[in-house]
Amino acid sequence: MNNDTENNDTGKRLLTLREAYRLALTIADGEAGLLKRSLLLFALSFLAQGCAYLCFYPLLQALFANPPDPRAAGWWLTAMAVLGGVDLCCRWLAHNFDYTGAIVDVTHQLREKLGDRLRRMPLEALSGHRTGDLSATLSLCVDNAVLHMGVVASLILQTLVVPTVVIVGTLWADWRLSLVLVLLFPLAVPIYRWRRRSSHEEKKEVARAYADVESDSIEYIQGLPVLRAVNQVGEKSDRMQASIATLRVAQANGLIEATMPALLMSTLVELGLLTVLALGTYRVLGGTCTVPVLAALLVMISRLSEPLAIFVNVTTVLDVVESSFARIRELLATEDLPVLPAAGQPDRYSITFEQVDFAYKGQESKALAQVSFSLPPNSLTALVGPSGSGKTTVAKLIMRYADPQSGLIRIGNCDVRTLQQETLMSCLSVVFQDVYLFDDTIFNNIRMGRPEASDSEVEAAARAAYCHDFIHQLPQGYQTRVGDIGGSLSGGERQRISIARAILKNAPIVILDEPTASLDTESEVEVQRAIDTLVRNRTVIVIAHRLSTIIKADSILVIADGRLVEQGTHAQLLAQRGRYCQMWEVQQRAKQWSLHKARP
Amino acid sequence: MAPVSAETKKAMLLAGLAALANVFALVLLAAAVSALMNNPAKILGISFSPTTGVLLLGTVTVFAFVCRNAAFRTSHLGAFRLEQILRTRLSAHLAEVPLGFVVASGSGTLKKVLLDDVRNLHAFVADSTPFIGRSMAAPAASLVMLMLVDWRLAATSVALLCFGALLMYFVMRDSVSHRQEYAQSQERINAAVIEFVQAMPVVRTFDDGSGSFRRFQEALAGYRLALKKWIAATGVSARLGMLILSPVPTLVAVAGVGTLLLARGSLDFPALIAALLLSTGMADALMPLMWLNNFIKKSQASALRIQEILNVPVLPKTSVPQQPKDASVLFDRVWFRYENRREDALKDVSFIASPGTVTALVGPSGAGKSTVAKLIPRFWDVTAGRIRVGGTDIRDMLPETLMATVSFVFQDTFLFQDSIEANIRMARPEASFEQVVAAAEAARIHDFILTLPDGYQTRAGDRGTRLSGGQRQRITIARAILRDAPVVILDEATAFADPENEEEIIEALANLMRNRTVIVIAHRLATIKDVDQIVVFDQGEVAEIGTHGQLVDQEGVYKRLWRNFETAQQWDLKQGEVRA
Repeated sequence: MNNDTENNDTGKRLLTLREAYRLALTIADGEAGLLKRSLLLFALSFLAQGCAYLCFYPLLQALFANPPDPRAAGWWLTAMAVLGGVDLCCRWLAHNFDYTGAIVDVTHQLREKLGDRLRRMPLEALSGHRTGDLSATLSLCVDNAVLHMGVVASLILQTLVVPTVVIVGTLWADWRLSLVLVLLFPLAVPIYRWRRRSSHEEKKEVARAYADVESDSIEYIQGLPVLRAVNQVGEKSDRMQASIATLRVAQANGLIEATMPALLMSTLVELGLLTVLALGTYRVLGGTCTVPVLAALLVMISRLSEPLAIFVNVTTVLDVVESSFARIRELLATEDLPVLPAAGQPDRYSITFEQVDFAYKGQESKALAQVSFSLPPNSLTALVGPSGSGKTTVAKLIMRYADPQSGLIRIGNCDVRTLQQETLMSCLSVVFQDVYLFDDTIFNNIRMGRPEASDSEVEAAARAAYCHDFIHQLPQGYQTRVGDIGGSLSGGERQRISIARAILKNAPIVILDEPTASLDTESEVEVQRAIDTLVRNRTVIVIAHRLSTIIKADSILVIADGRLVEQGTHAQLLAQRGRYCQMWEVQQRAKQWSLHKARP
Repeated sequence: MAPVSAETKKAMLLAGLAALANVFALVLLAAAVSALMNNPAKILGISFSPTTGVLLLGTVTVFAFVCRNAAFRTSHLGAFRLEQILRTRLSAHLAEVPLGFVVASGSGTLKKVLLDDVRNLHAFVADSTPFIGRSMAAPAASLVMLMLVDWRLAATSVALLCFGALLMYFVMRDSVSHRQEYAQSQERINAAVIEFVQAMPVVRTFDDGSGSFRRFQEALAGYRLALKKWIAATGVSARLGMLILSPVPTLVAVAGVGTLLLARGSLDFPALIAALLLSTGMADALMPLMWLNNFIKKSQASALRIQEILNVPVLPKTSVPQQPKDASVLFDRVWFRYENRREDALKDVSFIASPGTVTALVGPSGAGKSTVAKLIPRFWDVTAGRIRVGGTDIRDMLPETLMATVSFVFQDTFLFQDSIEANIRMARPEASFEQVVAAAEAARIHDFILTLPDGYQTRAGDRGTRLSGGQRQRITIARAILRDAPVVILDEATAFADPENEEEIIEALANLMRNRTVIVIAHRLATIKDVDQIVVFDQGEVAEIGTHGQLVDQEGVYKRLWRNFETAQQWDLKQGEVRA
C-alpha cells in the first residue's frame, strides 16, 4: 500500500499508511508509547478474530458429518469462544488509548504546542494564515485528528488483518479457493485508492465551482444595495444564478466518476461470495472440495463485508482526519526566526537602519530598498508618504515582523536579530488604528500590558490615558467585562484603553500607526491627550497622514516607493520644496474644502 | 429537505430494496449450499440445482447493484438540486429583507449560510438517505428471514442484541449531564481558540503573546477536565457497545445453539448455514447508525440557520406604488429602534431637506446621524412616523423607484469582479459608453483609468487590479453620478478615505452633489460651514437645526462640538510638552 509515486499528480497526495503512522506518533508525542501499544493490541485482537472465523472449517466439518460429531464440534466451539474472548479483551485494552484520559492529554498537549508555535512564529508567516483557518486548525482539526485516531486505526487494521488471516487459513482448507480470495480482496486497495482519488479529482472540479459560488455569493451580498437598485436580484441576478447552475453541472459530472469506485467497493464482497460459490460449486460437484469447507468459507466472507462496508462509509472521515493531520503538520513545521548569539540588552534606545532591503514573501518588488537612517534615543520621528510606500514596513521590521534580505536594523548597539523575542518586545509599545480588546474585564485588558503590575499601577495608567473617568461610569467600573458592553465602547474609548495598556507597559520605544485616523473629532481630542502622556521621554516613531500633527517632530522621513527620499524637520523640508512640500500644500487646500462651495 | 422529498424517498426506497436483495442473496447462498448436498433440504421452501443457484445469486447481486447505483444517483442528483433550490431561494429572499439585516449580519455570516450550511444539507441528502434506507431495511429483513429459517436461532441472536442494548442503557443512563458539560466546555474552548488566534497579530505587538497564551492555557485546562469527566462517564458504555455489536459473540452463540439443535436432530445443516449468514445482519446495521447520528446533528444545525434566514420577514411591498413628486426629503416624527435593543436609536426626529439643498447631519458618534442616513434607502423601516421623499412615503414606492430616486455613497466601497466599465455601468445598464466615460470624468477617475493596461476593460474587484481606497471610492462615485438620482446621501468620511487622493475625491463629490438634494453625514465640521442646513443630533434626538452661523452663536451641542474640533485641529505631537 506504500506506493509513494502513485498520486503525485493529484496535487494533494494521499498519505501512505507508513506516513500516517509516523504522523500519528508525532501527534501523540508524550503518549506515543500508549498509542503504539494500542495499535499492537488492535492487531492482536483482529488476529484472534480471524482465527476464530477459521474455526468454522473444522466446526462445520464436524457438524456436517453423518452423523454429526458433537464432541469435536464442542471443542472447536470452545476454541472459537476463547479466541473471540481474546479478541474482545484485546480490543477493550486497545481502547485504553481513546477511552481514557490519555487521548485528552494528547489533544491538550497538541493544542499547547500549536498555540506556542503561533506566538513564536514570525509575524510574516502568521499574517500568511487566515485567522479562520488557524482557529479551525487549533480547535476542529485537533479534535478530528486525535479523537478519531483510535477508531480509524482500528478500522484500517481490521480491514487489513482479518482478511489476511482468513486467506492464509484457507490455504490449508482449499488453496484454489484461497487463491480466488487473494486475487479478489487486494482489489479493494486499488479500488479504494481509485475512489479516494476520484473523489479528490471530483473535488478539484467541484471545488472550483464552489469557489466561484463563494466569491459570487460574497459579491452578491455586498453588492445588494447596488443590485437592488437596478433590480438584478434573486432569479434575475445573472452571475449568481449562472454560478449556482454551473456548480450543479460540475457536481453531476463528478458524480459519474465517483459512482463506480464507490459502488464497486461495496459490491466487492458480494462479488467474492458469487465467485467463491461458482468455483466452489464446480469443485464440490467435481469432488475436489467438500460442502462444509465451502459453507464455512461463505460464512467467513460474508463477515468480511462488515468492516469493508464501514470502511467505505467512513472514507469521508478519513479525508477529514488526513487533512487535519496535514494542517497540523504544516503549522508545526513553521520555523522561528533565528536568534543570533551574543544576545543581551540594548544599551540605549536609538534605532538604526543600515541599507535595509526588504521584499515581502512571494513578492518580487522590494518594499524597502537601501533604507538607512538613525534615530537618536528619546527623539520623535514621523514617517510620511503615500500609502503603500513602505512606511508601515519600516515599523514592522523594527518589531521583527520578518528579517530584511540584506542590511541591518539595530536598537542601541544590538542587532534586532540577536534579541530574544521577549527582550525585543519589552522594548516596544505599538498603538494601532484598530484596537483588540479581550472578552475580559477592562482591568485585565489594561493589565495585559504588564501582567505583574499592581492594581494601583493599572489605575494610574488608566488615569494617564484619560480612561479613568469613563471607566468609572461603566456599570461595574474596572470590573466591567468588555463583552458585556461590547459595541457601547466608542472607538476613542477603545483606543484610550489600548494607550493605557501601552503606558503601563512602559516600553522605551513607542510606535504609533495613525492612532487617530479613524476617530471622530469628539473622541480625537481625548486620544490626543492620552498620546501626549504616552510619548513623553521615549523614542517615538509615528506613521502619519495628517501632516499638521507632526510639524514639531524632531525629524520627518519621507518615504516613496520603498526609498527614503527626504529627511529633515518640517521647516527644512518645506524649504526644500520637494515631495513633502507638495503633500503639505495639497493637504492645506483640502482643509479649505467646504461642502457648500461644491454647488454652483 | 422538503423541496427534494421525492428524491430522498426514492433513494431510501431503492437503498432499502438493495439491502433486501442482499439479505435475500444470503438465503440463496445457503440454499445453493444445500443443493450441493446429497440429500438437499429446502430453505424457505426454495430448492434448485447448483447451477441455477449460482445464476440466481448472480441475478440478485446484479439487482442489488443496480438498485444501489440508482439510489446513489438519485440521492446525489437530489442533493445537487436541493443546493440550487436553496441558494436561489436564499439569494432571492436576501434581496427582499431589509438591507439593514444584510449589513448587520455581515457578508461573512451570510456567505457561510449560503455556502457551507447549504452544503451540509447536501451531504445529508446525498449520503445519509440511502444509508437510512439500508439501515432500516437490512436488520428488519434479516430478522424476518432468520425467523423463517429457524425461530430458535433467531431468538438467540435477538436475545444477545437485547442484552447488549440493555447493558448500554444502564451504563449510559446518567451521561446526559456530562455530555452537556462537555458541550459547554467545547464551546468555551472554541471561543478561547478564536480569541487567541484573532488577537495574536495584535497581541504580538505589545508583548510576546505570553499574556494571551496564559488565558488560552487556562481555557485548555478547563476543557481537559470536562472531557476527562465525560470520557470517564461514557468510556465503559461506549466500549461495551462496540464489543457487543461486534460479530464474534453472536456467531459463537448461534453456532453453539445450532450445534445443540443439530445434535438433537431438530435442525438441518443448510438452515444452520443460513442462520450463521443472517444472524449478524442486525448488529451490523446498528454500528453505522452511530456515525449517522453525527451527520444528522450537523445538518440539523445547518437547516436551522437556513430556516432562520428564510424566516426574516421581507420589507412590506406596497400594492399601489406611487412616484415621488420632487427631490425633497422629509422626516416626520420618526422613531426608530434597532431589533433586540432596548433604547430607541431615533426619538421623534423631524426635519425637511428641500430640493437642491445640502443638509449636514452632525453629532457625537452614536447620536443617530448614520441611522437617519440609512433609513432613507430603507435599510430598515421606521418604528413610528414616516419618511417622505418627494412627498411620497417611501414605503409606498416600489423598491426600484426608491433606489432610482436616492443614491448613496458610503465608506465601504464595493466593486464587482468585472471590468471597470461594467462596474460603473451597473448603475444604469442602458447607458452608452460615452455616458460611462462622462461619469468617470466627473468622478475624476477617467485619467487614472486610461493609465491602466486595459483601460476601461481592466478588471476590478478583489481578484482584479489592485486599486487604492481612493480609486475605488471614485469608481463608486462615478457609478452614483451615472445613476443620476435626484437625492444623494453620503458619508463625508469618504473624502478622507485615502489621504493622497483627498483632492480628487473632493472634486468628484462636488460633481456628484451638483444640483441635487444632498444629505451628508459630517465628521469634520470645517467642511460644512457653508451648508444650507445643519441638523445636530444628540442621543437620538434632534438637538438643534440651523446654519453654522446660527448654531455657533447659541450655547448648545454644536458649539461644544465646534470647540472640540478646533482643539483637535491644532494638535501636534511633541513629547515632553505638557498640555492643559
